[in-house]
Amino acid sequence: MGIITISREFGSGGETIAHFVADKTGFVLVNKDTILKGLAEHGIEVPNPDQEDLGATEGKKGQEEQYIEAMHDFIYDLAIRNDLVILGRGGSILFRDYPPALHVRVIAQFTERVRRVMRAYGLASETAVRLVKEKDRGKILYLRQVFNANWNNLRLYDLVLNTEKMVLEDAADLIITAYRIHAEPREVKDGPPLGEMEDRVFIPPAEAEADQFMHPSEEEFAHMLDFYRIRWQYEPRTFFLEWDSEGNVVEAFSPDFYLPDQDLFIELTTQKPRQAWKKNRKIRRMKELYPDISIRLIDKRGFESLLKKHSIDQDQGEEDDN
Amino acid sequence: MKDQKPYEDNQLKILFTQEQIEEKIGELGKKISADFAGLELILVGVLRGSIYFLVDLTRKMSIPFAIDFISISHYSEQADSTGVVRIIKDLDLSIADKHVLVVEDIVDTGLSLGYLLRNLKSRKPASLKVCTLVNVEARRIVEVPVDYKGFDVPNVFVVGYGLDYNEKYRNLQFIAQFDRP
Repeated sequence: MGIITISREFGSGGETIAHFVADKTGFVLVNKDTILKGLAEHGIEVPNPDQEDLGATEGKKGQEEQYIEAMHDFIYDLAIRNDLVILGRGGSILFRDYPPALHVRVIAQFTERVRRVMRAYGLASETAVRLVKEKDRGKILYLRQVFNANWNNLRLYDLVLNTEKMVLEDAADLIITAYRIHAEPREVKDGPPLGEMEDRVFIPPAEAEADQFMHPSEEEFAHMLDFYRIRWQYEPRTFFLEWDSEGNVVEAFSPDFYLPDQDLFIELTTQKPRQAWKKNRKIRRMKELYPDISIRLIDKRGFESLLKKHSIDQDQGEEDDN
Repeated sequence: MKDQKPYEDNQLKILFTQEQIEEKIGELGKKISADFAGLELILVGVLRGSIYFLVDLTRKMSIPFAIDFISISHYSEQADSTGVVRIIKDLDLSIADKHVLVVEDIVDTGLSLGYLLRNLKSRKPASLKVCTLVNVEARRIVEVPVDYKGFDVPNVFVVGYGLDYNEKYRNLQFIAQFDRP
């Protein structure tokens, strides 16, 4: 069985690439539709066919777990009889202990993805931004819920492709080439292959956890909110700050946290004041454009006194170098 | 580190003098006495910083009251960051149907006070109010009602009059801005 898994950021072109790869290799493309149809044939009821909602819903847990299990069985079954291109669905984790599998991640910058989604679906920029955010968030939740894994952990992948400056068909060709090299590796001369293998498949859970946040300070802040039993969401919303003459969003801002009970957005910065001007400018702009939204900037000093009021060690932290 | 008298410390910049604090506490005591006249009042001091303020405040009050103390764990004092806030020392008195005034030295983020108020509220007091000597609105994350406040302070680190830095400076008779090393 040949396996290529493709995980993609929404709007990065990953789905088109997966189709190209499947067409060119003759591998069977497994996506959400394939799975839903396959499971339906086996009479398995899908409690919540939209993976994007999986993480958001509470309850119905037993049913969901059953479905997830059935889905995995179905994919494994397919893989025994076929070569597969698996789009999404946590494929890189499902087959991470199968060395010949190639795990690919397709990415592109947020603004570029928004532009593509606007074009592809004929959406207004605000809707497109919301859609991209929601879809990405859904993927994060799905992986966390189903596999307890961090979607943003790039170590889950053998190959990461940025499609911003790339024709999608070329990206597909790159993947196919990579797969061939990967599946029939040449003799490794500069290191024991076993060690490399272990490095590729072993993901320390602590590190995976840390990767969920863009910055360690954000993780610590989240821990602190948990400590005080304050509900929070991480980067749940993006605000558009600037548009070009054609109405495309050229600048957007996603505050780090939203506290639903306080109806408050929070942006953290551990930069020194003179480096934080860009963030300050964005927040000012946001306040102008969205006067009804409450947002608070917690600066480096505020953050330190917040977290380690009593720890001298922390005061001599990483950024106090001049 | 050599021993140094706190007021000679050049890291300190006095924000409120002893006289200003005394005057302010006098006003607060008067107002609280008027507002709670004829009511069964329990002053709840939040350990440890509020004790200086609490003692002086009660000396300026002219109505009967009971005193109790409560202490909660702080995130910054946790050895690891996995726990949740909890009460380390609980009240000895029952506050059900009593009028409760929580006395704080400082309210900044509102995180710990927010938790405390949620906890106390569940015990069904007749009323629940907050009095703080120092209020740092600029650092607020959780909105908490501050009914009585001594001084509004901008986003600076302050010590003195119960407020400490690593257990130091609590006993200063004034409130000072402290530039941390």
